[in-house]
Amino acid sequence: MSRLQAEHLYKVFGRRPTDAVEKLRHGADREELRAEGTTAAVIDASFTVEPGQIFVVMGLSGSGKSTLLRMLNGLSDPTAGQVLFDGQDLTKLSARELREVRSKKISMVFQHFALFPHRSVLENAAYGLEVQGLPRAEREKRALEALELAGLKGWEKSWPDELSGGMQQRVGLARALATDADLLLMDESFSALDPLIRRDMQDQLLELQKRLKKTIVFITHDLNEAMRLGDQIAVMRDGRIVQIGSAEDILVTPANDYVAAFTQDVDRSRVLTAGAIMADPDTAYGTRTPDGKELKTAKDVLAAAPATVTESTPIIELFTPCSTSGVAVAVVDDDGELIGVVPRARLLAVLGEPMTPEDAPAGAVIPAQDISKDAGVEQDDDAEGDGGKNVGKVSSGA
Amino acid sequence: MPRIPFGDWVNDSVEWLRTHMDWLFDFIKTVFQNMWDGFYDVLSAPEPLLMAGIFAVIAFWLRGLLGGVLAFAGFAFIVSLELWDNAMMTLSLVLVSTVVALVIAVPVGIWAARSKTVSGIVRPVLDLMQTLPAMIYLIPALLFFRMGAPAGIVATIVFALAPGVRMTELGIRQVDKELVEAADAFGTTPRNTLFRVQLPLALPTIMAGVNQVIMLGLSMAALTGMVGTPGLGADVNAAIGQLDVGLGAEAGISIVILAIYLDRVTSGLGGQVSPLGRRALAKLRAAQGLNVWNYRPRPVVAMAGVVALALVAGGMGIFGDGDSDSESVADAKNVGQGKEVKIGYIPWDEGVASTFLWKEALEQRGFKVTTSQLEAGPLYTSLAQGDIDFQTDSWLPTTHASYWKKYGKDLEDLGSWFGPTSLELTVPAYMKDIDSLEDLKGKGGTFDGKITGIETSAGMMGLLKDKVLDAYGLKKEYKVVDGSTPAMLAELKSAYAKKEPIVTTLWSPHWAYSDFKLKKLKDPKGAWGKGDGVHTLARKGFSKENPQVGKWLKNFKMSEKQLTSLEAEINKAGKGKQQEAVRTWLKQNPGVLDKMAPLPKNAGGDENKRPLKAAYFAWDENIAVTNLWKRVLEKRGYKMELTPADVGPAYTGLAQGDLDLNLDAWLPTAQKSYWDKNKANLKDLGSWYSPTSLEVAVPSYVKGVKSLEDLKGKGDKFNGKIIGIEPGTGVMQALKDKVLPGYGLEGEYEIAAGSTPAMLSELKTAYAKKEPIAVLLWSPHWAYNEYDLTKLKDPKGGFGKGNTIRTLSSKDFPQQYPQLTKWLKNFKMTEPQLASLENEINKAGKNNEPKAVDAWLKKNPGFEEKMTAVQ
Repeated sequence: MSRLQAEHLYKVFGRRPTDAVEKLRHGADREELRAEGTTAAVIDASFTVEPGQIFVVMGLSGSGKSTLLRMLNGLSDPTAGQVLFDGQDLTKLSARELREVRSKKISMVFQHFALFPHRSVLENAAYGLEVQGLPRAEREKRALEALELAGLKGWEKSWPDELSGGMQQRVGLARALATDADLLLMDESFSALDPLIRRDMQDQLLELQKRLKKTIVFITHDLNEAMRLGDQIAVMRDGRIVQIGSAEDILVTPANDYVAAFTQDVDRSRVLTAGAIMADPDTAYGTRTPDGKELKTAKDVLAAAPATVTESTPIIELFTPCSTSGVAVAVVDDDGELIGVVPRARLLAVLGEPMTPEDAPAGAVIPAQDISKDAGVEQDDDAEGDGGKNVGKVSSGA
Repeated sequence: MPRIPFGDWVNDSVEWLRTHMDWLFDFIKTVFQNMWDGFYDVLSAPEPLLMAGIFAVIAFWLRGLLGGVLAFAGFAFIVSLELWDNAMMTLSLVLVSTVVALVIAVPVGIWAARSKTVSGIVRPVLDLMQTLPAMIYLIPALLFFRMGAPAGIVATIVFALAPGVRMTELGIRQVDKELVEAADAFGTTPRNTLFRVQLPLALPTIMAGVNQVIMLGLSMAALTGMVGTPGLGADVNAAIGQLDVGLGAEAGISIVILAIYLDRVTSGLGGQVSPLGRRALAKLRAAQGLNVWNYRPRPVVAMAGVVALALVAGGMGIFGDGDSDSESVADAKNVGQGKEVKIGYIPWDEGVASTFLWKEALEQRGFKVTTSQLEAGPLYTSLAQGDIDFQTDSWLPTTHASYWKKYGKDLEDLGSWFGPTSLELTVPAYMKDIDSLEDLKGKGGTFDGKITGIETSAGMMGLLKDKVLDAYGLKKEYKVVDGSTPAMLAELKSAYAKKEPIVTTLWSPHWAYSDFKLKKLKDPKGAWGKGDGVHTLARKGFSKENPQVGKWLKNFKMSEKQLTSLEAEINKAGKGKQQEAVRTWLKQNPGVLDKMAPLPKNAGGDENKRPLKAAYFAWDENIAVTNLWKRVLEKRGYKMELTPADVGPAYTGLAQGDLDLNLDAWLPTAQKSYWDKNKANLKDLGSWYSPTSLEVAVPSYVKGVKSLEDLKGKGDKFNGKIIGIEPGTGVMQALKDKVLPGYGLEGEYEIAAGSTPAMLSELKTAYAKKEPIAVLLWSPHWAYNEYDLTKLKDPKGGFGKGNTIRTLSSKDFPQQYPQLTKWLKNFKMTEPQLASLENEINKAGKNNEPKAVDAWLKKNPGFEEKMTAVQ
């Protein structure tokens, strides 16, 4: 069973929000509503997060991602839709029950750390446990453990303003971990940090995740971060989720120009894997080696290939082999069976312009849910004009 | 544009509130009064310097050593200005106001921080409260809460509330939203969010608000003197009223000291209370290391210091309390029986003078009197509401006509005690050619077209604008400048000093006429109307409840001479010493007090109903003193029967209870035998004269006789006679049995026994003829006053030790006459007093003793009051 499921979430600020949701359902767009004085922050967002997954929501500021996150733990009430957490609909809970869930099962890490300046590091880390009403000795013990997990052993007597930004966020992380919540909501948690420290924290999070197997929803505007961390990535724009997929999906088959523009500056050679771009083995049959030998079977292909790689190999490792041979690189599964090939032309193509879904090799892409059906297509059409602008913004911002 | 009767509406609603919500205001009043009393009791309980020490320890804790030292110096300065009590009253007022203001402000601030609607409503209300001139609160505060501390507290609270609310709201809103969200995200309840996150973080801002509240409260406290709130505000008010720069400066600097202290201490407290502040302090301490100046005792240490000082204070309070409660008024004069009388006054000289005169008079009569200085408007309001019992400075029928019209139905007019007064425009005497109001016409340029006026509320200002200017056609040429009496006098003073032209409103009597040479402008048209009388007004029902005082007040009159001399005395004494000046003045004007407040016939309570039997010996000092007491006691409603007696029967009569009193017991020597025999059944009320002596005296023209020894061999000269008195008296015995043998005079002299009058007449005759004579005499005796006599020395001590003259009574006397016993015990006379009284009585002759006593009392002003002093 999935841990967290969002179903058709809407959040509208302003007067008569439910009417506005109705209008949105009937095809009104965000600009129309804004003219009436209401703001649609999140429009029809649906997704599923599996246990142990890191689910990244990516979008520019104002795209509604923070609002979406706050609906997941009830800090913000959805105007419409449901949030199912372990099968329980959070939107139906009373304030008291919701507080109970928040204090025990969902914790949160904030962009600007949100540490309490009047509490020591230890007291900060123990805050959630204090709210739960645990006795002092126990909560301090668990807070110490959490601090140790976050790499802050020995700092517990310090005060937040004595720590660097990275360390402060570790305190924030420790505070979130201390309650032993299943679901961790991270709101741009690393955005305020220096790039080096940010990378460090990302590594640490991945490291922790290997051991703790939490379910994490991570908000970011940084695509590289999203790609590094995300098992699943949802790209948001103007309140809507425009595409959900793995890092490769989004890079290789962006749902629209917006996503494509977004992904422009990503170092594809490191993000994309052989598995993501490989072509069907059939395409190699009938080709010839430089010395004129025709490849007819998988065996031929494997024998002629300049290198044999697995699906998860980043494509940056394919360049050297490809440069030495005109024959495609072979991709094999764990049993050594040929499952695909990467010819030189394809390698070059993926580093160029993004491909449309039609171009993509069959079976390599999980189509983004719903996107083509309702939002995506329309969005695509009318976004053409200002899409160009957005692209500019994205590339300059990235 | 139609006149919107906004003022009337407000008046009506205030009136409605007063009648319908009185219980509520009474309740609030009681609560505030009790809080204020409580704070004041605590603050004023210790010795002032000890309390200053406690304040200093607190400052030491919060601000370091320098703060502590300065705090002590500042408070010691207040002590030395003799403003300590008032300062503590003001401090109590500020503290009560602050506590109440915070109890209201913090919750409202929290509420406003959480709700935009509340914030939207609260904000304009706060604006109103802060910008409405502070004095305006005082009017309804006075109406609702009457005079005294509660009105001041309410006005102060209203005035000081705003920053408390604002800073609380601001402090909470300032708390980082992410922090609140974080608290929320961890499932904190709203209540805990408030107490664990918002309030601790808002605390520095809230403390800044507290600081503001205190500062505003203190600045308001200075104004609350206007509504009769005691404390430094009252001093400030008095200083303004009397144009007394010195008092103003003293009260002002005391307020400043309080302000600085409270400001520094509360900001220091802000650091101690909030967790962030404590951290900052700890950091600072760590950075600077330990040195004397920034050392601050830990809260525990500071608390211990405060407690220790408080304990010392408490201990001293207990031990020092013993002699402070003997302040009961002598029964005979205790008409008031401690009843409270409240007098209000406007700080005009005649008002001050008459008020303090009555204060002294009523206190002498056993009333507890409080005085409050007020502006005219509040004075009449308080009087009409019954917060004040009476005031003595109402100018009627003209000047205060408007007040009388408005409040007359709630007042009693006890008549005029001084008059007529006059109102006038006045110019300095150096303004030639201007003698009459008519002369002002066409001189507008000289005076800048200005007439310097006083308070708009004063009746004479209306009169001036509506009548006087019209009558003389001055309306276009002159503008009346409203201001205040002190401002007018200040203008007059400075113009006078520079010899500049000035025309001011003034009235007689006024001290300005004695300080400056001024000309009252004539009023040929009579526009000012007839002169007023200065009336005493009481609240309705006062004379019914206090018939005695009512009668006294109705009969009260003062001549201009009396009033001006009293005013002069008060001005001379300076501020704060009005009552002492009144006492001095009363001494110079004996009888005024008894005329003002004559004692009713039965003033002595029950003890005067039983006739008092006093035995007296036919000796001059006894006749004198007994008659003195008879006269004085009769004035106080006693009956006294005088029984002439010999010494022996007198003692027996006293011992048996047939007689009550004898004032002439010569003990321990002269009447030793009688005393020894009867002392079990007698009471000794102490000595009123000492020491006495027995002696043989000769006129000083008898040369060469200075001592008893010198008598030897001069028997011929004195016809061999020493003139004695009644046989059988102790003196005669001593003379016969001890003195003559002791000096070997038995053969040479014989003692001529007779009577005291006979002895005195012999002396008189011989003295006139300058014949030698030796008489048996004693001191005190008036003869020494009348004649130049030599007391013969008694080197061998034949007459024994000197006696004291004591008062003896029957055993039951002290119970039967407690008041009289007190008076007799305190009774003292000096030799000149006694001698002059004896003289007076002798001169007047028999049966004229009362007249002689009266004549003597007149020459000895204050003596009677001292005899029957109210203690």
